[in-house]
Amino acid sequence: MTGIDRAALLERARLDRQAVPQFDPGIDIDEAYRVQTRLVEHRLAGGDRVIGMKMGFTSRAKMAQMGVSDMIWGRLTRGMQVDDGDRLDASRFIHPRAEPEIAFLLHKPLAGRVTAIEALNAVAAVAPAIEIIDSRFRSFRFSLTDVVADNCSSAAYVIGPWASPSIDLSNLGMIFSVDGRPCHCASSAALLGHPVRSLVAAARLVESHGALGGELAAGSVVLAGAATAAVALAPGQDISLEVERLGMVSFSVGGGA
Amino acid sequence: MNAPVEQVAALLRDAAASGRPCPPVRDRIADADIATAYAIQKRNVEIATASGGRIVGRKIGLTSPAVQKQLGVDQPDFGTLLAAMAIPDGAEIPAGMVLQPRVEAEIAFVLDRDVTETGLTVADIVRSIAFALPAIEVVGSRIADWDIGILDTIADNASAGAFVLGGSPRPLRDLDLRCCGMRLDHRGEPVSTGAGAACLGNPLNAVLWLAETMARQGEGLRAGDVVLSGALGPMVAATPGEVYEARISGLGSVRAVFGEARA
Repeated sequence: MTGIDRAALLERARLDRQAVPQFDPGIDIDEAYRVQTRLVEHRLAGGDRVIGMKMGFTSRAKMAQMGVSDMIWGRLTRGMQVDDGDRLDASRFIHPRAEPEIAFLLHKPLAGRVTAIEALNAVAAVAPAIEIIDSRFRSFRFSLTDVVADNCSSAAYVIGPWASPSIDLSNLGMIFSVDGRPCHCASSAALLGHPVRSLVAAARLVESHGALGGELAAGSVVLAGAATAAVALAPGQDISLEVERLGMVSFSVGGGA
Repeated sequence: MNAPVEQVAALLRDAAASGRPCPPVRDRIADADIATAYAIQKRNVEIATASGGRIVGRKIGLTSPAVQKQLGVDQPDFGTLLAAMAIPDGAEIPAGMVLQPRVEAEIAFVLDRDVTETGLTVADIVRSIAFALPAIEVVGSRIADWDIGILDTIADNASAGAFVLGGSPRPLRDLDLRCCGMRLDHRGEPVSTGAGAACLGNPLNAVLWLAETMARQGEGLRAGDVVLSGALGPMVAATPGEVYEARISGLGSVRAVFGEARA
């Protein structure tokens, strides 16, 4: 199967809400990112636009589990955005799950090898955020190259109120709740010890992969990665994330029979 | 095979003294009775105090829904803290002091009033707390391989081992006890993270449960008592020679330093 075929297959899986089996092995990570590029081009052709990136495998445990030593990334588009407090139509997805995250908004471009201080200096604001992932592969079973090709399972995202980036992000409590009951608690430290490390990695990867024009442009949004395990979504649920000092973001799940 | 309280208590004492964990004791407890398990715990505390030990407070365990589910219970448990279990911040915890040690980060509350009545509210608890401290609890099990059920851990003093209190007392008014972040670092990397809500929704809820439970047993809590309110994140196995540092937002930090294993 060619990379073009793989991208078309994944886009078809998304549109039809029909998961596909894992790809046969044989593509390397660079080819997997090329498939992702083509996959997202399908959506851009329909008028969507890329507004930033999401980071994946942002915990040592997850990297060890997948047998990798680096983070992975996917593209966020305008069409994937769900407004804070809105209803998410679950019937648009295959088997959606939600993950608690921290989002960065950049006010100046960032690319290549940057320090944590330089990265923070490019940040206009930080916000609590929830990412909805929905692997186009059956049962969320995929290899590293599969998930990269599949835009890192990203499906939608919700961003809460933007707060000043002067807040110390090294240890903010995060309470992820379903129907108002906490189901996972963590600290922002779960993101590689400090969420800014994820932003530093994003700048490095976007340049080394020559993607998104080789830089995170001013105005970009970066989702720093999941702080806890994901929660499977079902119609009728209310999902919320409260982050210490940053506030609350939430959405409800619709689309039930 | 049921056994008298003293017999089970002796098994646990011997395990602690010899450094050799014993098999689970749950099948020796008549009618799988929780009250009997607490009686076993109390028996060993009495023996410790009879030989000069001093009760300095209580610890609350099983405060996370995940751990309660694992042990098939729907409420926390408590153990008794003795002065000999207290380790100063950064001081070495001698190898072998705690059997099968694991560390967890939590909030310690120090009381400045007696709480002996039942029918308490959170307001009563808030009024009885002088200040909060960051804490690392070193839990341990006298039961081999941590093969514990609810009866085992209650009889074994809620798996209490040692505890380290940080030195930055904070009044409750300065804290967001529900949303505060917790990170437990080993060599600069977080090995466990969590938030205040992981402890029964709010650590004060755990203290309320403890105070009510102790009051119903006619004991209550006393001014000066230290209450370890329950883990804010998953426990982590402690390695000899290593240092674990807990940080809780608003409360500062505290370190547990483990001595090298003896040759």
